[in-house]
Amino acid sequence: MPQAGKENVVDMKEMKSKQRKKIRGRSSRTYVHKKRPVRKPALKTLSPEPVKLDKFQAEAIEAVLDGRNVLVAAPTGTGKTLIAERLAEKVLREGRGLVYTSPLKALSNQKYSDFKKMFGEQQVGLVTGDITINGDAPLTVMTTEIFRNKCFEDMEDLANIAYVVFDEIHYLDDPHRGTAWEEAILFAPPHVKILGLSATVPNVKEMAAWIGEVRACEVLVVEERKRAVPLEIMWISPDNELLSKSQAKRKVEKLSARFDSEMEQHKSKDKKKFYNYRSK
Amino acid sequence: MARAFKDPSEIIDVIQEHLPVLYFVFGRAKTEELAVELGKQWDFLNYDEKQQVRQIIKEAEAEYPDMFIHRDRAVLRKLLEQGIGYHHAGLSPALKRIVEHLYESRLIWVLFCTETFAAGVNFPAASAVFDSCRKWDGREFRQLLNREFFQMAGRAGRRGFDEQGYVFILINSDFPEDTGFFSEKKVEMVQGRLTVSPNTVLSLLMWKSDHEIEHFLESNFSAFQKRRRLQETNQKISEYKNTIDGLNKHFCAQRESVSCPLTRKKLKRELKKLKSRRYRQRPGSQTRIREIEELLTSLKKKKCKKVSCFDAARTIRDTSNKLDFLQYKRKQLIAEANRYTTDFYNMRDLLERLGYVKGREFFPRGRFALYLHIQEIFVTELVFSGLIEELPGDVVAGILAGVDYTPGRREYVQAPPYDIEPINKLRAELMQLGVPGEHLVWSPVPGYIAYAWYNGEDFEHLLQNSNLQEGDLVSVIRREIDLLRQMEKAAAENHVLLAKLQGIRRTLDRDQVKVLF
Repeated sequence: MPQAGKENVVDMKEMKSKQRKKIRGRSSRTYVHKKRPVRKPALKTLSPEPVKLDKFQAEAIEAVLDGRNVLVAAPTGTGKTLIAERLAEKVLREGRGLVYTSPLKALSNQKYSDFKKMFGEQQVGLVTGDITINGDAPLTVMTTEIFRNKCFEDMEDLANIAYVVFDEIHYLDDPHRGTAWEEAILFAPPHVKILGLSATVPNVKEMAAWIGEVRACEVLVVEERKRAVPLEIMWISPDNELLSKSQAKRKVEKLSARFDSEMEQHKSKDKKKFYNYRSK
Repeated sequence: MARAFKDPSEIIDVIQEHLPVLYFVFGRAKTEELAVELGKQWDFLNYDEKQQVRQIIKEAEAEYPDMFIHRDRAVLRKLLEQGIGYHHAGLSPALKRIVEHLYESRLIWVLFCTETFAAGVNFPAASAVFDSCRKWDGREFRQLLNREFFQMAGRAGRRGFDEQGYVFILINSDFPEDTGFFSEKKVEMVQGRLTVSPNTVLSLLMWKSDHEIEHFLESNFSAFQKRRRLQETNQKISEYKNTIDGLNKHFCAQRESVSCPLTRKKLKRELKKLKSRRYRQRPGSQTRIREIEELLTSLKKKKCKKVSCFDAARTIRDTSNKLDFLQYKRKQLIAEANRYTTDFYNMRDLLERLGYVKGREFFPRGRFALYLHIQEIFVTELVFSGLIEELPGDVVAGILAGVDYTPGRREYVQAPPYDIEPINKLRAELMQLGVPGEHLVWSPVPGYIAYAWYNGEDFEHLLQNSNLQEGDLVSVIRREIDLLRQMEKAAAENHVLLAKLQGIRRTLDRDQVKVLF
């Protein structure tokens, strides 16, 4: 590309002149040594898989292996997917099918790769709006929209499906896309059981009651409120102090009050001007 | 740099005990600015780790040689060698993947990222920083919901590594009142969000019985919730009514007469009002004043234990205020519970007027729209106007890229070399027929991208002829592929059209825009 070459030449000239200016601007060139992190003494290596199941996991797994409709609500990172994996194992062993829906294409792709490693390429498929791989596989990962469409257009495809897993079922609340979850729950064929995985929300029981009503079935709610690792929330002030919640609230009040008083001052100045103008 | 911002290296100084950190920023440009700024002061990796990073990048580059060439991504490579990264939707899929891979290999100590990272990557860090707690939700800047906050914050704390996950929220000295205070107890309820789209109506009419349609309209989640709220409201209303009835029994027989202190007080209050400067000139005021004065003198004040009467009267007043509000709320709830039925019939009427269906009978347009899931009406009309079949493949590719696309504020793309007038005319006609604007969303902006890509231009060409980022370009094409697949299903009987659409899709689905695993 001859043109691009020309541009480069111009760029280089400019760059050089800029650099010269920079150097002239400073008295001497200084090299800043970059900061290095404090390394903690050799971190423990993470055990690959927590062998012991948490209580809520055990409860939910037992229920789905029993063939019940289950809604699990637990914080992020507590291992909700493990429940779906155990269920998938069983469903595949019985020669039936499972649909795993996830809210984002990126998540679907990732889940597809994970499942492929776990269950082998033959067993796993992926269907999103813009790609289909092995769509007739017994274990198919889909976006929720695709599953919703199947509930209308291709009901016969779902004849052998034992379970549908709704990952992040609280997306029901999404103003633009929530409708897909709702329509899917309303119209999934009656023989398909539901496993819903949700973040902690206050009205899981209401969701379960609704699913139970529209599908005429019982829905077991399994809730876990505790995080795997507890969270500590702190605030950092504009002067880089670490603050607790109450300290932060005070700081915010103080800062906003300062603003308000400055605003007041401005206003009163303006008022004075205004009156002066009027009196003339 | 145009905007002043807080130096991230100061923050890292404070939290350096809790690395690696996910540094959440709401704005793509800002993730990059902050990363560059931090890179001037910090270097997190030792020699061996740098070698590892170089090796991983080298391997990835063997597959995608242009990964770091576009835009300013060469800077990112340098930053990655320092253990600093950024991640947002504008990155190319290959680049996103390598950043994710390095992060999961613990070779990134500070990752500046947007919300999408927390949603898509299921891998924890030691801590999380929130640069701000306000995000752009497509329409406006708003405070994060508690649920969103905890979804992101939950990435802090590695199981088996950290006893605690740390979350740091920055207080902005210019906007202190925007500082977020979140609580897990206040996480928002999930609400039903059903929407009645053209496809919903067509699908229901095609595949579901009357009974099932009724079920859909009356048993959806928000109707279910509304019904529950209605029950609660009704219960409260009857409770309040009972309270009022109970209290009314408390008064003596003279409650309504002028001798009752309560009545006298009320009359006196009215008198005072009428005598005020504002009211005394009004017609009828003077007569009413005389009337009240006569009434007050006609009977003497009764001596009684008025305190309890006053209390009761106040409670009645408060309760009936609450009651009015609840009754208003009840009306609203009833109206909202019926909303879906109204929406459904409105949409069906529109589709009947446009000649898609009549009752349960489907016409060609209706059968086509049945398989579309975005901008059903506009796309169907586009096909039935004959434009898709008449125009050459590259132009069709360009036009379809704009379906359901709303360009950002500062988006620039080379103007397409074809005429967009027919499309605008079609939209104007449909608008006249009463199709609401939300079903005619189309933009000429991304047209050139798909047009050029169809004609075999390389990725670099797209970047040079627009200011979109790699990830945006990929998403324009992938969205179009999604739409084309829907249209192919709809056009199954029309072999000419089907072949044409398939041809376009296969030409577009190549090289950098292919899906990665």
